[in-house]
Amino acid sequence: MMLRRGKSLTARLTLLFAIVSSCVLLILGLVIAELVERHFEDMDLELLEGKLELIQHAVLSARTEGNFDNLPAQLDAALVGHHGLAVGVWGPDGKRLFLSEEAEFPENNAPLKPGQVLPKTWKGHDEQHYRGISGQAPTGVQGEPPAMVLLSTSLTHHDHFMQSFRLTMWAVVSLAALVSGFLGWIAASRGLAPLRNIVRRASDITANSLDQRIEAGEIPLELAEVVSTLNDMLGRLKESFDRLSDFSSDIAHELRTPVSNLLTQTQVMLSKVRSIDEYQDVLASNSEELERLSRTIADMLFLAKADNHLIVPTQEPVDLEAEISSMLEFYEPLIEEKQLQLTFHGHAEVDGDRLMLRRAVGNLLSNAIRHTPEHGFINIALELDGEKVSIRIKNSGETIPSEHLPRLFDRFYRVDSSRQRTGEGSGLGLAITKSIALAHNGSVSVSSTDGATSFSLRLPARRSF
Amino acid sequence: MRILVVEDEPKTGDYLKQGLAEAGFMVDLARDGLDGLHLALTEAYDLAVLDVMLPGIEGWQVLQGIRKAGKDMPVLFLTARDSVDDRVKGLELGADDYLVKPFAFSELLARVRTLLRRGSKTKEADVLRAADLELDLMRRRVTRGGKKIDLTSKEFSLLELLLRRQGEVLPRSLIASQVWDMNFDSDTNVIEVAIRRLRAKVDDSFEPKLIHTARGMGYVLEAAE
Repeated sequence: MMLRRGKSLTARLTLLFAIVSSCVLLILGLVIAELVERHFEDMDLELLEGKLELIQHAVLSARTEGNFDNLPAQLDAALVGHHGLAVGVWGPDGKRLFLSEEAEFPENNAPLKPGQVLPKTWKGHDEQHYRGISGQAPTGVQGEPPAMVLLSTSLTHHDHFMQSFRLTMWAVVSLAALVSGFLGWIAASRGLAPLRNIVRRASDITANSLDQRIEAGEIPLELAEVVSTLNDMLGRLKESFDRLSDFSSDIAHELRTPVSNLLTQTQVMLSKVRSIDEYQDVLASNSEELERLSRTIADMLFLAKADNHLIVPTQEPVDLEAEISSMLEFYEPLIEEKQLQLTFHGHAEVDGDRLMLRRAVGNLLSNAIRHTPEHGFINIALELDGEKVSIRIKNSGETIPSEHLPRLFDRFYRVDSSRQRTGEGSGLGLAITKSIALAHNGSVSVSSTDGATSFSLRLPARRSF
Repeated sequence: MRILVVEDEPKTGDYLKQGLAEAGFMVDLARDGLDGLHLALTEAYDLAVLDVMLPGIEGWQVLQGIRKAGKDMPVLFLTARDSVDDRVKGLELGADDYLVKPFAFSELLARVRTLLRRGSKTKEADVLRAADLELDLMRRRVTRGGKKIDLTSKEFSLLELLLRRQGEVLPRSLIASQVWDMNFDSDTNVIEVAIRRLRAKVDDSFEPKLIHTARGMGYVLEAAE
């Protein structure tokens, strides 16, 4: 049988571990990057606002002292040491008062037109990024409009930092994926070790060692159910297997004697010319023996089917009292011949297969009649006992030693093993009765004391609606 | 009466043919399904005995072919597998009866005669007779040579069965099922005892003897020729 093979569990788990840890790290990295970037922005803005205040102050003082002539000197002094910081100041008349050398304001360092807003960040001619703010610096002169101030700071440092941060992050994520994949592989392999153990044990079991079981001791909780299911399956397999082999050996044993009789008898007859009467005799006797054989085969097939739950009784109301009475009519000649005392009382109805139930009870009846000595008694009682109906057939006769009782319902079981087939009875009757009882969810039992043997057939009582 | 036997097992086929021929039927034997179907469609038969497992085409197909051609002769099929499915299938396809191998030839013969009788509606006689034995169905009275014989009701049914089918060997299983409704093979000699008791009443003090034992086959009621 070919099984369609899925991906290995270990491979799956390894992949899963790697994917999960990379995802987590990636998200974490992206969040950190975003936070850092925001932090840089805040820092830049804080710096620029501070410088704006400084410039406003410088503008005010320069105007007070004169006509902005001192402003460039003041601003240079104020801005010294601030790499990347650029300032542009335009006077109330729009004239440029100051512009840092490295200034890269949009539109070639032009002042803002009225209503125009400075972009948050932009790219300069040198392909670098800048962030800037605009502001106004009141001159302190009545009626004079304020000076316009533009401030920018280069983002090169930040960009460099973020670039290396991202690079590091990707490296860490890839490494983490590899490491966690490896760890996952180790964990999965170790975690699945019990499973491999089970597989090894299971593969050791063959038809000859069906009584072996997979030990549940070292099995993890999650696999316990699998193991117990497997063990149950082994149990059922063993049971079926045993039944099958018992059945085969039963067949061989039980058929050997009659077949060898037939063979001997036939060949002895053929070895010499005999009279027609003799031929007829042996043919008739062969025919009887063969009929018994074919009955045995049919009975064994019935039992084999019952063993495999292929016997499905129909469910019809069966009046046991009427059925037993009619069967007693059938056995009457035998009962009278042996001068048996027969009593029958009780009334009960069950749901079941009428023909099968007749067969089950019939086997018990013929068994009782066969084993009761002349002038003995047979008592038949139908009793309703809660949910169950019991059919009890008690007959006088030798007490059966108790060690035989549990095995009486086994096929071909004979109390006296030295006593060979007495001509009637295949040794399957009671086994068939038991099978039929089981198929009806019933049971059989037997007890034997003080010169009386009592067989009981218990069946679920007919539910009255 | 013409009977068609379709059976591939050589010995079984030969013996069925011989047995049925000696019982007074004209028998044609076909050894595979195609021959069987051809014979069934071209010749006129009163009954067909059909094995289910055949080479060529299966017994089921032969049966279907027969019914499709509008032939309504009774068909008895033989099967080695005693499964409910098989039986149901056979009966659904239009078979009239079945026997599970191994079967007793006397059983087959009895079934064949029953099926053939089913077709011809003979008038039900009120009084059954054999030699000087009379069984009056209406008055439920049995007399022999004018003398009244007292029988129990089951003995009456048994004698009625033997009389209705006089000349035929009735196997024990058939007697048990027809008279006592015992449809399983009882492993007792109860039929033997019942026959012996009936004989004591009907035959013992009379001549000629009517009830005979066919050893290894069953019982037959026959007025000696």
